[in-house]
Amino acid sequence: MATVTLTLNGDVRTASVPPETTLLRLLREEFGLTGSKLGCDVGDCGACTVIVDGKSVNSCLMLAVQADGRDVVTIEGLATMSRLHPLQQLFEDKGSLQCGFCGPGVIMSAKALLDENPDPSEQEIRDALAGNLCRCTGYSKMIEAIQAVARDGRGEPAKSAV
Amino acid sequence: MKRRGRGIACMWYPIGFTVSANPSAAVVKVNEDGTATLLTGTVETGQGSLTILAQIVAEELGIATDDVHVVSADTDTTPMDTGAIASRTTYVTGNAARLAAEKAKKILFEVAAPLLGVKPEHLEVGDHKIRIKGFPQRSLHIGDVAERARGVNGDPPIGSASFNPATAALDAETGQGKPFATYVYATQIAEVEVDDETGEVEVLRIAASHDCGTPINPMLVEGQVEGGISMGVGFALEEEILFDATGRQINPNLTNYIMPTSLDMPKVEVDIVDSYDPTGPFGAKGVGEPTCVPTAAAILNAIHDAVGVRVTSLPATAEKVYAALKAKRAQEGKRLGAGA
Repeated sequence: MATVTLTLNGDVRTASVPPETTLLRLLREEFGLTGSKLGCDVGDCGACTVIVDGKSVNSCLMLAVQADGRDVVTIEGLATMSRLHPLQQLFEDKGSLQCGFCGPGVIMSAKALLDENPDPSEQEIRDALAGNLCRCTGYSKMIEAIQAVARDGRGEPAKSAV
Repeated sequence: MKRRGRGIACMWYPIGFTVSANPSAAVVKVNEDGTATLLTGTVETGQGSLTILAQIVAEELGIATDDVHVVSADTDTTPMDTGAIASRTTYVTGNAARLAAEKAKKILFEVAAPLLGVKPEHLEVGDHKIRIKGFPQRSLHIGDVAERARGVNGDPPIGSASFNPATAALDAETGQGKPFATYVYATQIAEVEVDDETGEVEVLRIAASHDCGTPINPMLVEGQVEGGISMGVGFALEEEILFDATGRQINPNLTNYIMPTSLDMPKVEVDIVDSYDPTGPFGAKGVGEPTCVPTAAAILNAIHDAVGVRVTSLPATAEKVYAALKAKRAQEGKRLGAGA
């Protein structure tokens, strides 16, 4: 067993897991954070995207032990009790998701983009979402929502960074 | 060299099959607080059909969409539904929901009419009220009427209804008949760029004009069209299930089964043609599957417009387009040689 201590959505958390455990399984099975989805489990679909030290990462491709000592933000770290994160709100307002399975990953990729580049071009948004497959929407309304968030200048800092 | 071309494709698509029984049923109860509850067997898969059904019930009862609580797809409590298939939910289930709400409304009108001193046929709903047509200031709150219907008249405002597009068998000899209740129509135009040295195709833009009857929720209609087009782009250029000689799929994963990413998707312009079908709920028909019908044809026509080759099997991969270009050049070379 390997011990992993990480900052997860602002809180320091520790777990003891078999060394082959992926970060995704650590999040879902040890910490009960099932917002990050297990889609392909080989890094093709992006449904498991989380932010590690400010970068979007396929959590199915990262071992839990590699996250030791690092800062991890998942979809659960975005909303507060009183309000949604602007990306979540705009995705809702614009009907950006349909079945929703890709949603947590898409939103985390978008958040990582906006944290680094608050005013991205449409092409930069398309590049940032290229690792997140969506079967329902054609991406159009996701791109519109991300543009709207960028326009409003409301890309909030992550909870862990507050 | 990259060459641009445009292609157009049109389609019609049937809504509400009639060759076999195709029913949906619904129960609507109006609650004493002025909200309503809809029981429906249909399944929400992200297309927004439960929102549409809530809008239909709200419109029929004159209340807000948020005031309609939808209970769906629970065999313990909801009526069986033929399915979230065949682009039928708005049309078939929507009609059932509207009819159920209308029945509940009739009970409310019977209760409200004597209180307002008119006949039930002189009443209408709107703004959470039951009111006299032409005299909207003479009204009762729908919740108060629902309370009275239950507590005084002993007739709780509950309606149940089903809708089945009239089943009509096809003629066994000619195959002729009326296989569907109604039809939708669409045209899509694709603009592509084809690299005539590699056969690679990039879709730059798609304009899509769709008739779906009354668009009950235009934002959801746009979402369906944009999503359908992404499936059409995959169908046209990328997606293919490959088998080996023993029939085993050799690309059962998203590494080798290629589908459109955000980088493959063109700009999509959606135009909703506002129309009205008298047999649909508030004039609505449907929009789901039709959205991906004309896309591949428009893209392949655009490839022809750009480089003059017809690819006749999907997907039109770079290899196929390149092979067609090579064959065309060989043909032209031969013709040139024959003429000289």
